[in-house]
Amino acid sequence: MSSVPHDHVAGHGHDDAHGYHPKGIMRWITTTNHKDIGTLYLWFSFTMFLIGGTMAMTIRAELFEPGMQIVDPEFFNSLTTLHGLIMIFGAIMPAAVGFANWMIPMMIGAPDMAFARMNNWSFWLLPFAAMLLVGSLFAPGGGAAGGWTMYPPLSIQMGMGMDMTIFAIHIMGASSIMGSINIITTILNMRAPGMTMMKLPLFCWAWLITAYMLIAVMPVLAGAVTMLLTDRHFGTSFFNAAGGGDPVLFQHVFWFFGHPEVYILILPAFGIISEIIPTFSRKPLFGYASMVYALSAIAILSFLVWAHHMFTTGLPTAGLLFFMYATMLIAVPTGVKVFNWVATMWRGSITFEAPMLFALGFLFLFTIGGFTGLVLAIVPVDVQLQDTYYVVAHFHYVMVAGSLFAFFGGIYYWIPKWTGTMYDERLGKLHFWSSLIAFNVAFFPMHFLGLAGMPRRIPDYSQQFTDWNQVSSIGAFWFGASQLIFLYAVLKCIAGKGAKAPAKPWEGGTTLEWTLPSPAPYHTFETPPVIK
Amino acid sequence: MGDASDMHANATGERRERALRQRRANVRVALILAAIAVLFFVGAIIARYMGGLETGMSILGLAGVVLMVVAITRNVRDR
Repeated sequence: MSSVPHDHVAGHGHDDAHGYHPKGIMRWITTTNHKDIGTLYLWFSFTMFLIGGTMAMTIRAELFEPGMQIVDPEFFNSLTTLHGLIMIFGAIMPAAVGFANWMIPMMIGAPDMAFARMNNWSFWLLPFAAMLLVGSLFAPGGGAAGGWTMYPPLSIQMGMGMDMTIFAIHIMGASSIMGSINIITTILNMRAPGMTMMKLPLFCWAWLITAYMLIAVMPVLAGAVTMLLTDRHFGTSFFNAAGGGDPVLFQHVFWFFGHPEVYILILPAFGIISEIIPTFSRKPLFGYASMVYALSAIAILSFLVWAHHMFTTGLPTAGLLFFMYATMLIAVPTGVKVFNWVATMWRGSITFEAPMLFALGFLFLFTIGGFTGLVLAIVPVDVQLQDTYYVVAHFHYVMVAGSLFAFFGGIYYWIPKWTGTMYDERLGKLHFWSSLIAFNVAFFPMHFLGLAGMPRRIPDYSQQFTDWNQVSSIGAFWFGASQLIFLYAVLKCIAGKGAKAPAKPWEGGTTLEWTLPSPAPYHTFETPPVIK
Repeated sequence: MGDASDMHANATGERRERALRQRRANVRVALILAAIAVLFFVGAIIARYMGGLETGMSILGLAGVVLMVVAITRNVRDR
C-alpha cells in the first residue's frame, strides 16, 4: 500500500471533547474506543489460549505413555472437545478481531469503528460464553465430549454440559456476527477520502472478506446447534435417527459452517502476513490486485468443499469427485498468494526482525499444512487417513503455524505502535526459534503416527505408537513453555521497559497507522486524512 | 466578527449533517447484513424442518445471492 496521507496526525484537537475517561475497571467495561476493545480482545484471546493450552498439555501428558495415567477417558474426551472449541472460538477468532479493532480504523483513516457501543457489547458477550464453555466441565455428567464438531448421536445423548456448550456457541456466534457487521460497515463507509477499495491495505481486504464469510456461516452453525438443542429437549428429530432424523445431515450443515470457518481463521492471518512481508522486504506487495482476487476466490471456493470432511459417510461417487476436485482447486488461489509473498521478497532488501521471522515461519509451515491438506483431499487417501493423527497434524500446521504464527508476527509488528515501546528483539527471536522448533517436534511426528494408523481422540494407544507420542509430548510442553517468553516480551513492552518507539519503527511501513505517533493517541483521525 | 461566527456555525452544522448521513448509511448496511444473517439462520433450520431439499436450497441460495449482490455492488459503487 503506497497511500500517502495529506494530513498526518489528524484532528487531535477534539481530545478534550472526549475528556471523560473512566478509570480502572470501569474504563474497560464501558469503553467504546476501538483501541481499548482491541486490547480487551487480545488479552481475552491470550487467556483462552493459555486455558486451551493447559488442556492440550494435559492431553499430551496422558498420551506420553500407553495406558491410562492422569485422567479418566470421559474427561479426556471433554478435554479434546473443549480444547478445540476454546482454541477456535476463544483464542484464534477473538485474536483476529482484536487485530481488526486495533488496526482497521487506523489503517483506513477512520476515527473509530462504525458502531462503537455494539463493539463493546460484541466483546463483553465473550467472557460469559467462555465461562459457560469452561464451566461445562463441572456440570453434572461432565463437559461436552463428542469432539468440537458435536456430531449426533453422541451430542444428543450427553448431559447438561452439552447444553452449556450449545448456549456458549450461540453467544459467541452472536458476538461474531455483530463484530462482522461492524467491520464491514466500517470498511465500506468510513474510509478516508481518497482511500478507494483498491488502495485498502491487504489486512483490511482480508478482514472484509472474512467478515462476509462470518455473516454467512455463523447463522448456519447457530441453526445447526439450535436443532441439536430442540432434538435434546423439545422432542424434535432433526438428527435423531430413532425419530426419523438423519445424523449425517448434521455433518452437512456443520461443515457448511466448518470449512469456511477454517478460512475465517486463516484469512486475517494472510492479511497480517501481507503487511509484514512487504515492510521487511522494503518493497511494495507483488500483485496487489491478484492478492485481493485470490482472497475472494478462496472465500467463494470454501463454501463449495464442505463434504471433503465427510468422504467416509457414504457419499455418491459423483459427490466424492466433485468435492475432491473442488478442494484441490483451492490450491490455485492459495498458490497465487504464496507465489506473491515470495515474489515480494525476491530482490528485496530483507531484514529478519521477529515479525519477519514469524512471517517466514508461517510461509514454510502453512505451506506444509496446505500440502497435507491436498493429500487429504484425495478420496482414497482420505479414506485411509480419516480420523487419524495425520489429520491432527494437518490442521495444527494450518491453525498453529498458520494463524497463530501470523498473530505473533502481527503483535511484534504493531506492538511498538500500541505501547510506544520497542519489544526486546532478542526475546522476540528466541520466542520465534523456540516456538518453531518445538512446534515441529510436537506436530511433525503426528504425520507418522497418522500414517501408521493411530486414531485421534483416544486416551490410550498401542505400544508401537509410544516413541513418536513421547517426542510429540516433549515438543508440546516445549511449545507451551516458549509462550512464556512471548508473555514476558509483551509485558516488558507494556511496562515501557525498552527503547522508545518512533512513529514509524519499520522503515518499509507505508500504511496510515505509521503516520501516527507511538503510542497511538486515544483518539485518532477525527478529521479524516486525505489520501492522494 | 459576525461573519466568522456564522461561518463557524455553518461548519459545525455541516459536520453534524455529515455525521448524521454517515450514521444513516451505517445503519442501512448493518440492517442489510443482519437480515442476511437471519436468512441464513432460518434457512438452515427450515431446510430440515420442511423436509424438502428444494426449500432449504432455495432459501440458502437466496441468502447466498443476496450476500454476493450486497458484497459486490457496494464495492463496485465505492470504487
